Amino acid sequence: MNQRRWRWVALFAVLSLVLGACGSDDSNDAADDDDDGDTEETVELVQDGSRLDGIIDEGTFVCGVNDAVPGFGFTDEDGNFSGFDIDFCRVIAAAVLGDAEAVEYRPLAAADRFTALQSGEIDVLSRNTTWTATRDGSEGAAFTVPTFYDGQGMMVRTGEYESIDDMGGTSICVLSGTTTELNLASRFNAAGLEYEPLSFEDNDLLRESFISGQCDGWTSDKSQLAAVRSAYPEGDGGPEALTILDETFSKEPLGPAVADGDPAWYDAVNWAIIATIQAEEFGITSENIDDFLDSENPEILRFLGQAAGEDDAVLDPGLGLPADFAYQVVSQVGNYAEIYERNVGPDTALGLERGLNALYTDGGILYPPPYR
Amino acid sequence: MRWARANLFNSPLNGVLTVVFGGFLAWAAYRMATFVFVSADWEIVRRNLTLLMVGRFDRDQLWRPWAALLILAVSIGLTAGMVGAAAADVARQRGLPVAKGSLRSAPRRFWPLILLIVVLVAFTRTVAPTFLILGVLVAGGVAVVAGQRVPARLRRFGWIVFVLGFVGAIVVLWAGGGVPWDGWGGLHLNIFIAFAGIILAFPLGLLVALARRSSLPVVRVVSVVYIEFFRGVPLISLLIMAQLMIGFLLPPSMDPPSLVVRALIAIVIFESAYIAEIVRGGLQAVPRGQVEAAQALGMSQFSIARRIVLPQALRAVIPAMVGQFISLFQDTTLLYAISLFDVLTVSDTTTSQDAFVGRGLQAVVLPCVAFLFWAVSYSMSRESRRLETRLGVGVR
Amino acid sequence: MASVTTRPPPWRDVRVLRVLLQLLFALGVVAVVTWLFGNLVTNLDQIGLSTDFDFLDQPAGFQILGSDFRASQTVRDAFVVGITNTISVAGIGIVLATLLGVLVGVLSLSSNWLVRKAATIYVETLRNLPPLIVIVFVFSAVILQLPRIQEASEWFGLVIVSNRTIGLTAPAFEGDSAGTYALLLGLGVVAAIAVAVWRTRVHRATGAPHRRVLWGGGVLLVVAVVGWFALGGPLVLDRPQIVGVQIEDGWAMNANYAALLIALVIYTATYIAEIVRGSIQAVDHGQTEAADALALSSFQRLRFVVLPQAFRIAVPPLANQYLNLTKNSSLALAIGFFELTQTTLTIIGNGNPAPQSIAILMAGYLVLSLSIALVTNLVNRRLQLVAR
Repeated sequence: MNQRRWRWVALFAVLSLVLGACGSDDSNDAADDDDDGDTEETVELVQDGSRLDGIIDEGTFVCGVNDAVPGFGFTDEDGNFSGFDIDFCRVIAAAVLGDAEAVEYRPLAAADRFTALQSGEIDVLSRNTTWTATRDGSEGAAFTVPTFYDGQGMMVRTGEYESIDDMGGTSICVLSGTTTELNLASRFNAAGLEYEPLSFEDNDLLRESFISGQCDGWTSDKSQLAAVRSAYPEGDGGPEALTILDETFSKEPLGPAVADGDPAWYDAVNWAIIATIQAEEFGITSENIDDFLDSENPEILRFLGQAAGEDDAVLDPGLGLPADFAYQVVSQVGNYAEIYERNVGPDTALGLERGLNALYTDGGILYPPPYR
Repeated sequence: MRWARANLFNSPLNGVLTVVFGGFLAWAAYRMATFVFVSADWEIVRRNLTLLMVGRFDRDQLWRPWAALLILAVSIGLTAGMVGAAAADVARQRGLPVAKGSLRSAPRRFWPLILLIVVLVAFTRTVAPTFLILGVLVAGGVAVVAGQRVPARLRRFGWIVFVLGFVGAIVVLWAGGGVPWDGWGGLHLNIFIAFAGIILAFPLGLLVALARRSSLPVVRVVSVVYIEFFRGVPLISLLIMAQLMIGFLLPPSMDPPSLVVRALIAIVIFESAYIAEIVRGGLQAVPRGQVEAAQALGMSQFSIARRIVLPQALRAVIPAMVGQFISLFQDTTLLYAISLFDVLTVSDTTTSQDAFVGRGLQAVVLPCVAFLFWAVSYSMSRESRRLETRLGVGVR
Repeated sequence: MASVTTRPPPWRDVRVLRVLLQLLFALGVVAVVTWLFGNLVTNLDQIGLSTDFDFLDQPAGFQILGSDFRASQTVRDAFVVGITNTISVAGIGIVLATLLGVLVGVLSLSSNWLVRKAATIYVETLRNLPPLIVIVFVFSAVILQLPRIQEASEWFGLVIVSNRTIGLTAPAFEGDSAGTYALLLGLGVVAAIAVAVWRTRVHRATGAPHRRVLWGGGVLLVVAVVGWFALGGPLVLDRPQIVGVQIEDGWAMNANYAALLIALVIYTATYIAEIVRGSIQAVDHGQTEAADALALSSFQRLRFVVLPQAFRIAVPPLANQYLNLTKNSSLALAIGFFELTQTTLTIIGNGNPAPQSIAILMAGYLVLSLSIALVTNLVNRRLQLVAR
């Protein structure tokens, strides 16, 4: 009898704890509105200095990545991280620390990437993440220039559907906890179409589900769809059996992000990435970079941290980066074109053309701001 | 023939059942055999075997996991020998049958593990691992025999040998330029989390169980709330909470612990609630008369607990603890949900590699991982049942 | 109260010390909880994350498979759908797992060697696998192998099987008199119970066989059949049919839901089978012999002598398995079925605050677990009263 009574006491205690937690949340919030102590704390945080100094002291930084997206972030058989997004972690390491390998990788799921960034567990998030206003704002992230311009598309079995507007009442496969899921809902709702979403946490099961015909369409970033299509087994009809519909129904600028409120660190990361694009524009690659050290072009000399211009001085733009950071980035990791071709370009399993991700001079939209 | 008639066709119903079940079993066996030997392409497992076993562990430091495995095998062997001998003594005192373990009965007892080792060796591409595994096995076997020969009065320290071995393994992996546990992965991580989880959760669970039987109402209520709360939520929700929130629960000045540590905290808290219930069962199994007799002899509360109640209670819970350990080992696959690099996550990432992407190879990798867990769990649960009969738990 | 005079000073009075000790303990616990909670609020404020529950009223933005939930509905509604799905899968799963478990448990004691072996192989294979792997397996090796919707197989027009949806025929009320008929059926049930109670009384008083199931069932059947004809067939079979690329009408069961249900049932049934086997073996052998001496058939022996006693032994461990099944339903996140955990993760992933969402998640499971514990405790108490 005693036993049973305690169980009840426990039940009530637990429930009141939970309810209490909810309740006091509100009261705390109300109390904070007229509490001016907050501002002092923020000032202190800034005075504490930038993350950049800590990272330089430490000699390494933590990069939040993906470990199961072909081409962008995965683990090879020797246990090394590899892929497009991983290379940009290395770019940052080369720029800030002079050593592309001075990165600690932290694989993250879609659901916890922003929490990891907010709580300071990772210094950079490089996990094909779409730059949106909400993420910039209330999620507390600050996005650098995009490293990859993508767009959401729809893949169907060839001949079944011609456009998304034909797809009322179908089942659609989608990755859960991503902007893809939200875009899908708005696209279909805007057209007044019904659909059944099959959302998976994991790309592998999603793919199996699609191949088995559980869903009629697969929506994702077009780069991912192209990768799946090009690797579609010959036994099931090969790439020809699948069609990616022409329509692109979202903009997906993917790029690294850092936590809000640390401009120095943000600038350093941002310019490390810009350097890869700038290097491509100059035609500098990891192979030929040493030939450029005595270039005639003052812009290239300035970019590589060499003395140039009328006053014959090394430019210090005040980014907190070493003068030769661009040299380190390109010589250790490569320029944008090299990174692209190596991980996702036409010769890889993904086989993606440059498209939007070409320099502005080649019909793309990559446009590096001037380094001066 | 006679056997078949007595056991398979002793009634019309049984005849029908035999045909139906026999047909089904034969079909299942055929399907499995064609999958294993014909249709499956095991290349992905062969190339990623190291990754599945130790994750991203520095490839130049692979001697460390081997050394750690050796230390673990020896310490587990010693402990198993001591516990086995102690259990056999108990059985002999009570006049229960003692099935004598011998080298000849080992294949029958451990065939799943042996099969597992054969499969793993078949996947290796060099000769060295075969000899290393044989070496570890021999060392473990010798340790078992040595453990059985340990004098009876030292046997109660068996668990200390195991804990020391476990700590030793960690030191070998980590110390002097090794790899800290944030860099561990694969099956190695699953084993580490399972062992560390049970070792750390046991003392905590013991405390909670004692608190639950305390005569102080407040202590009892807190203990009951603790137990019911953590048994009432799924482990995965605790892991998600550990992953997303432990950083927020600490003061801003403190760095959040690494993901492995956070997962371990969640697991220890969860397991301790279960262990508390197991230990409580053990405590209740000690006859009340013994405590009263001890009180009549004028023993203090503390020494009654220490000398009368706990030794009997803890012996009675050994099989249940093994069961709990098995379920914890299986639950380590949930680390997958929080992106820790456990063996299930590894199996997931292998199908993203350039050479294997988009070929539906999950159907090949996943059965391997499943077999791994099955072989280990099945062997342990069989051994635990053996121990149970020896200790006479459940036999009155 | 003569002992008042001999009372020791307060610092050595056991009663006072006990109160003090408990007070200290309680203070310690409260202090730790307050500290953790304070840190949480400070941290969230510092990063500028909300600490209230206003997000519950925001639109969720995503849709949920197999429900009418639409993207414009609120996050609160999404939580409701999640917890409903968990309850549904746990409730049906518990019933099916018990049926399968009892069957396998009885089979594992069969006199047929092959049947016994098959039962053992089933139990020992599945219960030594991690449940997460079992779920993924059932999904990709069973459900996805079913025919796709374009080639869905129909069985007698009653069942349609595809790897997207499994359509079952379900009874449905139809027409104007449907309400009346439902009411009539309710009355029929009441009448059936009354008759059963009456037969039990007769049985107690005279010793005549009660046959209460027969009597009660008969009454209900008569009411149902007569009413059905009288009201012009208000209850019809609602058959599933394929509309476009979906199955509609009937009971259209989502395939991912089916995968989770099957996995949970076959996994939990192995544990239930072991419990049933153990409980049957724990029934005193003399009982079986006594039943044999009374010349009961083997079915009668099982039904009237062994199972009722075994059931009493089995209830507490069964309750544990029911809890485990409910909690294991959280592993559906691997196969994209929106039960509570998957829903919460999606909600967090779409930019809603994690701490509050996790608090709701845990509270949801806690309420479910405690309700199951409460029900099984009541059953247990009732059974034990009957025993005395």
